[in-house]
Amino acid sequence: MFKHLFKLIWNKKKQNFLLITEMLVSFLVLFAVFTLLMFYYNNYKKPMGFDYQDVWVINYNNSYQTKNVDSLDLYYETLRKTIKSLPQVKEITFVSGNIPFSSRTNQSGLTFKGKHIDHLNNFTVEDYYKNVMNVTLLEGRWFNKQDVVSKNQSIIIDSDLKEATFGNEPAVGKLLGNDDDKNKFKVVGVIQTIKRNGDYLKAGPGMYFRTDTGSFRWLDKILVKVTPGADAAFEGKLYKTMANYMKNANVEIEHLANKRTDANYFALVPMIILAIVSTFLVINVALGLFGVLWYNINKRRSEIGLRRAIGATGGSVSAQLVSESMILATLALIVGTFFAIQFPLLNVFDLPAIVYIEGILLSVLFVYLLVLVCSLYPGKQAAAIYPAVALHEE
Amino acid sequence: MIRLQNIEKVYRTDTIETLALNSVSLDIAKGEFLSIMGPSGCGKSTLLNIMGLLDAPSKGEIRIDDQKTGGMNDKQLAQFRNKKLGFIFQSYHLINDLQVLDNVELPLLYRDTTAKQRRELAAEALEKVGLANRLKHFPTQLSGGQRQRVAIARAIVGRPEIILADEPTGNLDSAMGNEIMEILLSLNRNDGTTIVMVTHDENMAHKTHRLVRLFDGAQVQ
Ligand SMILES: Nc1ncnc2c1ncn2[C@@H]1O[C@H](COP(=O)(O)OP(=O)(O)OP(=O)(O)O)[C@@H](O)[C@H]1O
Ligand SMILES: [Mg+2]
Repeated sequence: MFKHLFKLIWNKKKQNFLLITEMLVSFLVLFAVFTLLMFYYNNYKKPMGFDYQDVWVINYNNSYQTKNVDSLDLYYETLRKTIKSLPQVKEITFVSGNIPFSSRTNQSGLTFKGKHIDHLNNFTVEDYYKNVMNVTLLEGRWFNKQDVVSKNQSIIIDSDLKEATFGNEPAVGKLLGNDDDKNKFKVVGVIQTIKRNGDYLKAGPGMYFRTDTGSFRWLDKILVKVTPGADAAFEGKLYKTMANYMKNANVEIEHLANKRTDANYFALVPMIILAIVSTFLVINVALGLFGVLWYNINKRRSEIGLRRAIGATGGSVSAQLVSESMILATLALIVGTFFAIQFPLLNVFDLPAIVYIEGILLSVLFVYLLVLVCSLYPGKQAAAIYPAVALHEE
Repeated sequence: MIRLQNIEKVYRTDTIETLALNSVSLDIAKGEFLSIMGPSGCGKSTLLNIMGLLDAPSKGEIRIDDQKTGGMNDKQLAQFRNKKLGFIFQSYHLINDLQVLDNVELPLLYRDTTAKQRRELAAEALEKVGLANRLKHFPTQLSGGQRQRVAIARAIVGRPEIILADEPTGNLDSAMGNEIMEILLSLNRNDGTTIVMVTHDENMAHKTHRLVRLFDGAQVQ
């Protein structure tokens, strides 16, 4: 029977071409939507890697200029003490500008053991950073005083970088750096990658450097972990403290929780637009498919009547029509998958291959479901046609 | 072979009721070649469809091969049609998207057969109607007479005991009509196939064993 259906489809290739094209286009659009959706979902599933609740950001423009490193350190250490002495402040840390949910980045590349890693985030952090952010240590330890004297500069890497460089093996104690660099870094710890771009976007890889004497020259943000009850009144007080200390600086206070909401919003907007557009497209395709199948069945009433006359049951007629649509869908999906599979093969958008595979599988499933739903009813109608009536009309 | 008892058929549409058949009783013996004549609209096709189990009568009973057909479900009816009956229509009803050979194979698709068996039986049936050299043609590439011969091949490929033909020569000129008639006559003569044929052609009708005339849904002779 299958061979028979193939022949029937093949001999009608001209009519079927349009239908296959329509299915192909809907597959490709769905593939884009589902791939993006899976990309978001896979990122969403990963742990946040840090606490954003009750973490505030103080932005200041670095106005204190001095050649003398000691007085620079004294200036900022005094500020630290002043802020830390506020009762609502649990911990504070100075940090490089590329904090979570900010658009600022500081990226480099790395070629390690012949493998090139791009968009590698560089963070400069203090020992206090761990407690402010509550990052998750997966291996080794966080920075401490020991790290000053190390022959190879200590670094901490995130889980993404670890996977890209050391795979499943432990990283602590290993040296990391460009293949042609003499002075490599020594990994002292691995932390869970922090989702710095919000819940839905890719975050890693990243490497963390410990602050150095003189780092204050270019650090321009403070992260403050406050007590849960900290309110606007306290925020005002904090602002005043900062403004009083840094006479001519612009000070701005933000909450990480709000910045996260904004980051997520900006990630979701294109997704929502795409989802709306594709919903309309799918509805359109579904109606089109339904219409074409319906039309085909009416055009083929005489064939249906004949098949009934020579021994087909109503059920087998409807099964035949549904099978024909499913075969057409299969042909469209084979072509579509061939195109879709090029994305992971050529690594077009730097997404993990699994995301594309999931996208392909979901859209295959969806197209089959769509075609099945759209052909079931016309198929059922065809089964209900009285053979005598169908044969009567030419 | 076929026994119709008090067959009545009423077509009901929203506004009108048509009595297409009015108490028709008919006994057709095995091996008989029967023709049905009558003016247009008198119920000939209706009668043939009811004999072919394509349509159910409003009243009355049909027995084929001494089997009651009234209580059969869709599947049983389909099987019965497939095994016992062959149909030939005025407008051929070939599937234009299938080659001649595939068209003839169709009834066998609804039976337990292998592709090879189907191929052989279909080729054999086409040989019988003199179309052995047109297997790979599409119906649209054939003349009317050739198309009707394909339809006959399709009707006989499953070796049915009964062939029901509704104006098989209605669309053909007399030469081609006679060719078709010869094939039917030889099927009846050589294979003992029971044939019921609707026709408008007195000459054709007189070549058959018996002639039944219908008028306004009733048998007049
Ligand atoms: N599906 C139907 N619904 C309603 N009325 C029908 C239907 N089929 C046939 N009829 C009516 O039943 C009557 C008999 O029709 P039938 O087709 O059997 O005539 P016929 O003798 O075959 O005519 P012809 O020689 O023109 O083919 C006609 O009056 C016709 O209008
Ligand atoms: Mg008729």
